[in-house]
Amino acid sequence: MKTKVVLNFSPEAANTPITHNLIAKYHLLVNILRAEIDEIGGKMVLELSGKADDIRKGIDYLKSNGVGVRPIKEGVRRDDDVCTHCGMCVSICPTKALAFDSKTGKVTFTEEKCVACGVCIDACPPRAMEILI
Amino acid sequence: MTAQEFKEYVKANGVKKAAKDVDIVTTGTFGAMCSSGAYFNFGHSDPPIKMQKVWMDGIPAYAGLAAVDAYLGATELDDTNNMMHGGAHVIEDLVRGKAVRLKATAYGTDCYPKKEIDTYVSLKTVNQAVLLNVRNCYQNYAVATNSGSRTLYTYMGKLLPEYGNATYSSAGELSPLLNDPYYRSIGIGTRIFLGGAQGFVIWEGTQFNPGVPRTPAGVPKRAAGSIAVIGDLKQMSPEFLRGLTFTRYGTSLGLGIGIPIPILDEEMARACAITDDQIVTAMFDYSQPARSRTVLKEITYAELRSGEIELKGKQIPTSSLSSLYKARQISQILKSQIQKGAFMIERPVQNLPMDRVFKALDVRTEKEAM
Repeated sequence: MKTKVVLNFSPEAANTPITHNLIAKYHLLVNILRAEIDEIGGKMVLELSGKADDIRKGIDYLKSNGVGVRPIKEGVRRDDDVCTHCGMCVSICPTKALAFDSKTGKVTFTEEKCVACGVCIDACPPRAMEILI
Repeated sequence: MTAQEFKEYVKANGVKKAAKDVDIVTTGTFGAMCSSGAYFNFGHSDPPIKMQKVWMDGIPAYAGLAAVDAYLGATELDDTNNMMHGGAHVIEDLVRGKAVRLKATAYGTDCYPKKEIDTYVSLKTVNQAVLLNVRNCYQNYAVATNSGSRTLYTYMGKLLPEYGNATYSSAGELSPLLNDPYYRSIGIGTRIFLGGAQGFVIWEGTQFNPGVPRTPAGVPKRAAGSIAVIGDLKQMSPEFLRGLTFTRYGTSLGLGIGIPIPILDEEMARACAITDDQIVTAMFDYSQPARSRTVLKEITYAELRSGEIELKGKQIPTSSLSSLYKARQISQILKSQIQKGAFMIERPVQNLPMDRVFKALDVRTEKEAM
């Protein structure tokens, strides 16, 4: 199975090789979708793939090391009735989940690519983007 | 034909044949048009009131007119500066058929004794509800970017630091005034598609500035022309009229405008054949807090539409603030209305003035202003 999580690091946790341990000890495939970490802590968005049991154990391991773990259940949603397809969100979306389709002239939203960072929320002039946590 | 179809037709058949074969080209744009608003006549209460101060859903409307007339501006905010719901949003709510709370106060006169009223109005209850916008449909517009170290929140949207992105706001080759660069067919009295209804051009837009630098084909490379427009709000549709919020800047009205251009001659056909690669605009650094910002680069709409532009050796992702999808939709609707005979085209009553200049506001003495 696959799951997306947002990790919050304390300064101590930022200096532990947790990604390595998730791979080596819990046999998880780790895809780093976003990371902002320095010596005073930070945030990381991961996609974890593996056996359900291993994912659960991996998350427990993270928590026991002082890492805050928040699952991304639905992330960002777009209200298609509100979106005007202007494209403001396209240049600020870090994963290109929001992209411009020149054929249709519409802005497409690929939820699988979205890491729920939320930068599009306050950038959307008609307020079509909503974050669900 | 729509502007998009016409450009393809010219590519395949040449300007001469296109000028002969095509009567009308329909253009369209949908974008944030801040200098917009609507006036209302609410009808008289019993006893009557001469409204001095008016609020519509908490947003102040200008009531320095007679008795029960008021003008609600799109960028007006309530006392708390709540940018999620400004004048533009109230106008959208009305167009959606919603009822809006109307409050008014007055000092009371012998002929208008009532001093306050608190009620609800909708487009059904008011006598007139008229969209009246003093500057819409800019001919061209700047590209915004940000060299600074923090995110800027502007009327050009969210600008990421260190040239993190660039935003632009024109429908480019579909935009009405870019297809009629010298305003030969668009003038006072021109019937237009406005917010889903039919409206009219009533004047030059404020800040009308036709004297900006132009390309050899005559297409302005800067903001240049704009139009003042009017139309019946009661006939409009939320599909083409939206309240917008630009975070930490304020509210604006997202509005769709479409204008048919008659192909009078080959010159007109050549003007309407213009494509995004031939339309140039200028890029500015919005972290420069000055009236006249320096031009970073001149750039074409084809480059902007590609999704990435080059500046100082860096690739910068671009965003449009103007909806290409809705611009195409509007030009298509206008085309079918004209084909059905539901949209008439007339010669303008008067052309727009070519001699206007764009003046600045300086702090001056009474004598200097004379």
